[in-house]
Formats: sequence, C-alpha cells, structure tokens
Amino acid sequence: MEPIQIGLVVTGLLFVVVLLGMRVAFAAGLAGMIGLIWIFWAKAGYDPARFGKSLTIAVKTAGQVPHSKIASQELSLIPTFILIGYLAYYAGLTKSLFEAAKRWLGWLPGGLAVSTVFATAGFAAVSGASVATSAVFARIAIPEMQENGYDKRFAAGVVAAAGTLASLIPPSAILVIYAIIVEQNVGKLLLAGFIPGAFSAVVYGTLIVGMAMTIKGFGPAVGGYTWKERFVSLPPAFPIFFVVIIIILFIYNPFGGDAWGTPTEGGALGAFVVFLMALWKRMSWSQFKDALLETAKLSAMIFTIIWGVLIYVRFLGFADLPGAFSDWITSLEHSPMITLIMILLAYAVLGMFMDAIGMLLLTLPVVYPAVMALNGGENVSAADSAFGMDGTMCAIWFGILVVKMAEFCLITPPIGLNCFVVAGVRDDLTVQDVFRGVTPFFIADAITIGLLVAFPAIVLYLPSLASGG
Amino acid sequence: MAGSSPVLEDGSLLSRLDRGLFKAEQVFALMSGIAVFMLMVLAVISVSGRNALNRPMPGYVDWIEFAMPLIAFMGIAYTQRGGGHIRMDILVGKLKGRPLWAAEFVTTAVTLLLIVLLIWGSWSHFLRSFDFSAPLWSRDSSIDIKLPLWPAKLLAPVAFSILAARLCLQLWGYGRAFVHNQVNPVGVPITLSAAEQAAEEAAHVGGLDT
Repeated sequence: MEPIQIGLVVTGLLFVVVLLGMRVAFAAGLAGMIGLIWIFWAKAGYDPARFGKSLTIAVKTAGQVPHSKIASQELSLIPTFILIGYLAYYAGLTKSLFEAAKRWLGWLPGGLAVSTVFATAGFAAVSGASVATSAVFARIAIPEMQENGYDKRFAAGVVAAAGTLASLIPPSAILVIYAIIVEQNVGKLLLAGFIPGAFSAVVYGTLIVGMAMTIKGFGPAVGGYTWKERFVSLPPAFPIFFVVIIIILFIYNPFGGDAWGTPTEGGALGAFVVFLMALWKRMSWSQFKDALLETAKLSAMIFTIIWGVLIYVRFLGFADLPGAFSDWITSLEHSPMITLIMILLAYAVLGMFMDAIGMLLLTLPVVYPAVMALNGGENVSAADSAFGMDGTMCAIWFGILVVKMAEFCLITPPIGLNCFVVAGVRDDLTVQDVFRGVTPFFIADAITIGLLVAFPAIVLYLPSLASGG
Repeated sequence: MAGSSPVLEDGSLLSRLDRGLFKAEQVFALMSGIAVFMLMVLAVISVSGRNALNRPMPGYVDWIEFAMPLIAFMGIAYTQRGGGHIRMDILVGKLKGRPLWAAEFVTTAVTLLLIVLLIWGSWSHFLRSFDFSAPLWSRDSSIDIKLPLWPAKLLAPVAFSILAARLCLQLWGYGRAFVHNQVNPVGVPITLSAAEQAAEEAAHVGGLDT
C-alpha cells in the first residue's frame, strides 16, 4: 500500500473512533501511532521479523512529541488566558461590567439590551468561555430586561448571542491554538481578532437599536444617570479594559516604536491585575484553589488534544495526505472563492456536533494547507494570489473566519450550546424559546461572516499595521 | 470549556480505589494550577525587572519551557476522571445500558493501549537526556541558564502512568456495568445529554459568580 493510501485508511479510522465517542485527543494520538507503526512496517516490506523494530521506531517517534512540542514559550499563553478567565469570576467583574454598560449605553433605544450585549461580550472576551458567560449573564441580565418590559425570549437570545463573542476579542486561547497549529505569528492573530469581534458586537447593538425604533413596546431606554455616576462605575470594571488593552499593546504599539513586550508578558500582567482585583473582592483560599484546579483541567484538556493531534500530524507528514488533499482542492473547477465558502459551510455543519477546539485541531492539519494552496501557496504575493492577499495574511484571515464560524455554531439549531445553557439557567424558558429569541442575531452573524469574507480588510487592517511597524 | 460529569460512589473496592486515586490526581492537578500561577508571577517579575531596573530576568524563557510540561501533563488523569477530555457524544449520547458500556469499554481499552505505548515512548525520550554519570545527571540542558531537561521530560511518563491507572479503574467500572447491566455504575463519568451538561455548567459557574 502506498503511504497516501495508508493516510486515507488511518484518517478514516480516526473519524470512526471519534464518532464512536473516543476522546478526541486520544483518538488523534491513536490514529497517529497506528499510522506510524504501519508506515514504518510497510517500509520494512511487512516482514514479520522486523515488526518489533518498526514498532519501536514508531513508539519512540510518537513518544517524544508530547514533551518536545509542549515545552514552548508561545503555548504558555493558553494557561495564562485560562487563568484570567477563572479569576475573573471572583473579581466581581460580571456585575460591575453590566452596571457600567447600563450607565453608559442605557439611554439608547433598547438600551438595556445593548448594554447586555457589550457587557456580555466584554466579559466573554476576557473569560474566553462563551457558554459559561452566557450562563452567568442569563442570571444577571435576563431578569432585569424582563422587569423593563422586554420579551423574555428576546432577552434570552441577546445573552446567548453575545456570549459567542468570546473567541475573537483578545485574549483568545483558541486563536493561539490556531496560530500554533498553522505555524503563524500568535501576536498577529490575536490582534486580528479585535476588530471583527468588536465589529460583531457593534452589529448586534445596531440591530437592537433598529428593532427598538421600529417595534412598538420593545423595551424602554434606561436613562437618568449623571456623568458622575457614569465615571464612578468605571473603576470596578477596569480590569476588563486593562486585560484587552495590555495584550494589544504588548503585541503592537500604536504610538510608534516597539511593542511593549511579548503577548505572554501582556497576558500575565492582565492575569495579575485580575488576580489583585479578586483579592480585593475577598476571594477565599477555596475559591482560589477552585480557580487553579479548573485552570489545570482546561489546560490539560487543551494540551492533550494539541499533542495528540501533533502525533497524528507527524504521521500525516510521512503519508503526505495534506499535499494530496491540496492538489485535489486546487484541481476543482469552481473558483477558489466558492471552494472557500464550501469549506466554511462544512465547518458550520461540523461545528454543530463538535466542540470548537476539537473541530479545528482535527481538521486544520489537512484543510489549512489546502486553503493556502487555493490562495496560491504559503509564499504567494498579494498580486499573484487568488484572494488578493499574501500567504501570511490569508492564514490570518482564514483563522478569524473559522473561529467566527465555530462561535456561530454555538447559537445554531439543533444543538447550539449557548441556547441550551441559557434555557438551563432559566426555568421559565424552553430551548425553543431561546432559539426563537436568538434568530435576529443568527441572521446578523450570517451577514457579518459574509462581510468578513467580502471585505478582508476588516480582519487584516490591524495585523498589517503591526507588520509595517 | 472542559465539561465535567458526575462520578458516583459507593462502598465497593472499585469506588474506594477510585476515591484514593482521585486524591492523588487532585494533588497533581493542583501542582499544574500552581505552575500556571507561577508562570504569571514570573512574567510580572520579568517585565518589571526589564522596565524598572533595566535588567531582564535571566533564564525567563528556560523557566517557562520547564514549567509547561508541568501544566500540560499533570492534570491529565484528573481531567479523565470527570470525563473532561472532549469527545463527540452524538452517538454514545443516544446509547443506553449494555451497548453504552460496551462502547465505553472498547474506547477506554484502546486509549489504555495508546497510553501504555506512550509511556514507553516518553520514557525512552527521558532516558536520552538522563545519565547518572553526567553533571546534574543531565546530558542536555536549556539554552540560557543551563537547566537540566530530564526532570521536565520525566513528567510525561509519570503523568501517563497515573492516567493508565485511571483508565484501568474505568475499564473495571465499565466492565462491571456491562456484566451486571447497571444503570448508574460507580467509578466512571456518567454521560450527560447536552441539556444536562448545560445545566451542570450553569450551576457550576453560578457558584463562581460571587
């Protein structure tokens, strides 16, 4: 059997065991291990006497992957970002952020819902956890919106949708994972997420203002705050802004000159400020221990998938499956843009059934090289490329698009997890209610994705500044 | 977010072993969490040293690379105990009774096989840098401040061994559930539907939101 055929069979096996419910990390590691043994034994002509030797080489090749791939400075961003998220719950940031958003944005038509969008998006960004953020804000914001005359289904939809903005605005662990898997600059990807994330929040806000102005009895504005009350509300919410801004400044300095440091340092400073805030809010030892254990658990989960997939990637390198898939994709008769859109739609379907991190890590080793090939290759210039951007920019753009797709799946039926969690928190709401309430945001997101595809500059503006500077 | 599923307990030997191992897993996971915290402290010291005293911290990157295996590997069995490693449950979520326990048994058994091979592989990776006769028992070291690499490399086989013990207990649990056709077996994470999982998640973060 040719290496490419072994690649196909093993990849098929991988999907079968994933479908059977094997943990994604171990399924990928197993596929990689079997693939390596097979390929080395095939090279030995399937000689039974040389099976032991092939097995030893394969096991030693796979066995060095976990340590050698994990011991890297860039990957240390992931646990730091996770720690920020768990500490943020104890720093009292959810309520203070909601209060600040209300005082500053409540006067707009549909002001309370607009405030909820920005507070939820801000907290989601810093905590990095879409589903958990929606759960928390379902408890804080939905009752208040109901008291002010909002339809409860719509109120639930606002919370479910705004929670999805976790993975674009920095800090974003999933963008770090993407950058590492596709070997691109982590800083640029984090920077690239900011405008699309903020843009999505603005689209949601504008949609609510528009609905409030056209639909009668939609929900009143909540005004009457003095400027003093507004400014007083800012310091308790300060760590949120600090985390986002410090990470950006440690990647790109808008005032000219070098960035202030590395993203790792920016993330750590952000975590430190949130930690101080949590201490100030009297976080107990048992709460701190809980935050550390949860951080350890989520970190172990993510790193296990990373090394598991990297064992599989090591095997793919021998089987040259990504090369063959790229050749097939580029030989299609559709325009590259149509092919790209098909790939994004495939992600939308897959995302309905799988967690974002698992989905991206399992598919990117094969899909990413194909997308780069569609654009004309890793080293293509903007002028010669299919999508009008050079290889690096195409990598960044595609990363933001797939992450946005993965988040979009959190509010798509039939198993949009954010909708389930909001319904789970509120006894008076069914999942169908939440799906109905989230529909306007679902449409808004589809339009946003369309705009990000049609106008890549929304994504690439900030990273292009960073490369120039 | 890593989900977590409840693990039932009773007075059986399996459940007692489960709880005993869980204690060790918790200690290991806490070490991983503390390592993340130390990483943060280290970066704060490094940035302030560079800016305030104009003196960067020596070996900053070496220490990060040293801490990463601690963070990445030490919580692996703790996460496995509560079913925190993600999977696609579209199919197993629909199974009940013996077919469910059979499926869980098979996927756990092949996971155990993989982990045993990886203990072997990561152990030989460790042996390549460990040498009793060398200074600090080390054949290789980090670039800047010459930290020996073998302790970090040793963490992988150690953590994988604990994971292997956890997988053995889970195999026992699933096997017992299959034989006795149990509804709620002890010592294994109970599979939850998306809605139940969401409610669990909501309850957990509800407790966090003080």
